[in-house]
Amino acid sequence: MPARILIVEDSPLVTDAFRVLFTAAGYDVDVAATVVEAIERGTSTPVDLMLLDLTLPDGSGLEILEALRQRGSLPRATLAMTGHRDSASRRACLEAGCADVLIKPVPIGELLRQIERHLA
Amino acid sequence: MIMSDHADPSVKERIKALEAKAKEAQRTIDELRARDALKTQFLSNVSHDLRTPLAAIITHAEILREGLLGELNPKQRDSVSGIVSGGQQLIDMVDEILTYVRSASDQVTLVRTEFDITRLVDQVRTLNQPLAAKKRLTIERRNGDDLPAVYADRDKVKHVLANLIGNAIKFTPDGGRVWIAFSRRGKDTEELVVEVGDNGRGIARDHYDLVFREFAQVDASPSRPHHGTGLGLAIARNLVELHSGTIWVESELGKGSRFFFTLPLNPPRD
Repeated sequence: MPARILIVEDSPLVTDAFRVLFTAAGYDVDVAATVVEAIERGTSTPVDLMLLDLTLPDGSGLEILEALRQRGSLPRATLAMTGHRDSASRRACLEAGCADVLIKPVPIGELLRQIERHLA
Repeated sequence: MIMSDHADPSVKERIKALEAKAKEAQRTIDELRARDALKTQFLSNVSHDLRTPLAAIITHAEILREGLLGELNPKQRDSVSGIVSGGQQLIDMVDEILTYVRSASDQVTLVRTEFDITRLVDQVRTLNQPLAAKKRLTIERRNGDDLPAVYADRDKVKHVLANLIGNAIKFTPDGGRVWIAFSRRGKDTEELVVEVGDNGRGIARDHYDLVFREFAQVDASPSRPHHGTGLGLAIARNLVELHSGTIWVESELGKGSRFFFTLPLNPPRD
């Protein structure tokens, strides 16, 4: 069965691009645009990898990790995505349990390699 | 304001008038500051909002270029590669604006660690090697093997070095030289001076201050050969000043430029 990726991102433009990419790469794709939606999607069906935008309309992406941890539904790996290089927010992501922090736009070759590595 | 009861009434009048003027000037300053802050916020918001669609465009173009939706012929691939590199260039410019806005306001906090600055310089040299090779330029690190560790924000110092070395490459003609050298100054040599030099076209003395000013470019004409936001050195100045350092240039037209910045070697620990 293909691995399942949950894209948490509030911009439909970016979500669409990732959906095309991951579907072409052979993954199952699910999307969520808010913290509430992501917690719901992440709890209802097991997720292998979560791609997490940090700034969402109803809160921080890191709140999702905490909520999923409490519900015992943490994905095997979470990759955070942010728009800017900032050592402080990078540290916060790693401390919250993200496997890595990627700077948007992540070159797709690197993104697919990272995903493959964390799902191995 | 203390006024003697016996002061000349005309003097009293003048003092009153001056006080009114000072108040008025303060109001204008406050208003300008508020407007400046609004503009900065606007710049930050617009830049951030530009990033998202740009990121989507680049990702879609990369999907096409990599043939994930079917193989492209070489001409199609070249064209799509143009979209990727054009988009990337735009994002870099937007990022520069965002970095400037953050470095100019109070949004930046330094995350200081101890690190080897010569290794950082070598990293930035390696990153710039392909660009330098295109122009047959050499980038040499002249000394520094015996330097103590620096206690500073590594990412921000890297940003400053990348900007200075990138500029040196940009403004030095083919076959030229770019170098990095270190020295120490001050009482007990507590300050590290980093020099990034080149034998490029140089900067006129009248323009020494201008190059560090935001949005200013020595050649700002639309036909100028080097495009950019004109923010690179303003950002470098802000980042160096956040470290309580200074940045300056010494240059001679036609002979080259030497940019210097200082970092305290033993700043108070967090």
